[in-house]
Amino acid sequence: MTNMNEVASQPGFGTSPHAATADLGQVPAKMTVRDLNFYYGEFHALKHIALDVPEKKVTAIIGPSGCGKSTLLRIFNRIYAIYPGLRAEGEIVLDGENILDPKYSLNRLRSKVGMVFQKPVPFPMTIFENVAYGIRHHEKLNRSQMEDRVEQALRGAALWDEVKDKLKQSALGLSGGQQQRLCIARGIALKPEVLLLDEPTSALDPIATSRIEQLVEELKKDFTIVIVTHNMQQAARCSDMTAFMYMGELIEFDKTEKIFTKPDKKQTEDYITGRFG
Amino acid sequence: MNTPHQHIIKSYDDELKRLTGEIVRMGELAVAQLEAAIDVVQRRDERAAQRVVDNDDALDALEHDISQDVVRLLALRAPIAGDLRNVFAALRIAADIERIGDYAANVAKRSIPLSRVAPIAAAGGLANLAELAAEQLRHVLKAYHDQDAEAAYEVWKSDAELDEAYTVVFRALLTYMMEDPRNITPCTHLLFMAKNIERIGDHATNIAENVWFVVHGEPLVAPRMKRDETANPDFNK
Repeated sequence: MTNMNEVASQPGFGTSPHAATADLGQVPAKMTVRDLNFYYGEFHALKHIALDVPEKKVTAIIGPSGCGKSTLLRIFNRIYAIYPGLRAEGEIVLDGENILDPKYSLNRLRSKVGMVFQKPVPFPMTIFENVAYGIRHHEKLNRSQMEDRVEQALRGAALWDEVKDKLKQSALGLSGGQQQRLCIARGIALKPEVLLLDEPTSALDPIATSRIEQLVEELKKDFTIVIVTHNMQQAARCSDMTAFMYMGELIEFDKTEKIFTKPDKKQTEDYITGRFG
Repeated sequence: MNTPHQHIIKSYDDELKRLTGEIVRMGELAVAQLEAAIDVVQRRDERAAQRVVDNDDALDALEHDISQDVVRLLALRAPIAGDLRNVFAALRIAADIERIGDYAANVAKRSIPLSRVAPIAAAGGLANLAELAAEQLRHVLKAYHDQDAEAAYEVWKSDAELDEAYTVVFRALLTYMMEDPRNITPCTHLLFMAKNIERIGDHATNIAENVWFVVHGEPLVAPRMKRDETANPDFNK
């Protein structure tokens, strides 16, 4: 047992500043990244990445352009597999299985790990069909079951009240913020376990951005969320854990509160405070 | 000492430097006020004492300016990490220096009735006390300017010395009062003045704690011997 007098005699260590991190550390990892390396042809884009993505928490990935944060996000659902010359080495363990294993079916992976992109891309079809489209690929539902699922997804994405009277209208008529929430509805309609958000608000105004951030807070009750953002304040506002990446390396990964108040690494501090590194 | 890189936005650096400069200037003014206060006690100069009291307005105005700058920085720059600690500490340090100024003015104010009665030999101990407090203040301001946590920690520890010196003055004044009840009025003024100076030391340690926090991002928590024994029930037995 620690001698409290010994602890108290060390300046600055009266209470553990990492206690909260330890609390978060007790949350089980939904995804575990182990010694992940990624190559675009000859270019070594991600170097020995290792991190645990905690279950039903929001993990933010920040870093300058080209640091590999979007690459990492895209490996989480193997979207890179559609391009030739790209390869990943290492392991990403989701519920005990390595998703990088070629035997892990892409269809199964995509139903477990949903993704929302920077620019909302609604399909050129009705609002209802946008959400129903993906569900049909994975499940056979009758009409009323499908209506329930679409409503559930739109409610989950905080869009239902705004679109319930115009489900048969084209999704292209929605505002940017509504389109992005529609994309989130499309993502959660498949009942994934992990939701990847790649700069989901960079094309939105502050009000639409706040709505998405509020939605993220609600969604983490049911999903594990990983968000890539250039907006430092957004990472601070809506994530529990933050990873800072630089030139393909994971520099620091800690509780968001720690990263934004007292990061351990000078590179992290320089980046988040807007300094020359 | 930790020299951070410059911000990409230069005006942000300028604003933070300005804030640090204001704190240092305010601190220097407070030291000057304390020295002037003790000088008027020794010279028994009522008019000069009044000037010290009046000069406290300048410290209040500086604190007001610093509060405004802090609010502006928080609203417009949304500082984080080390920058946030700096801005947050500036607000707290300004409040400490403002209180130090009040105590210095109070010493000067009490010197006025004191100068109207016969000089008391025990008043000499006050100068020593004030010199210790001023020294602490100068050192902690330098530690703040240099962002030197170790130097701040030294100031923090040295407060025990000031407490001890205060106990000595307290004991001497009690003796004077017991010897001759006519000493009670001037000695009571001197007691308050000594207590004011002792409190200045406490505020200097607050500033030291803030410097530590700016540098390390953690509170300064360590056992510190309080040497002010005057509140001990067994004191003077």
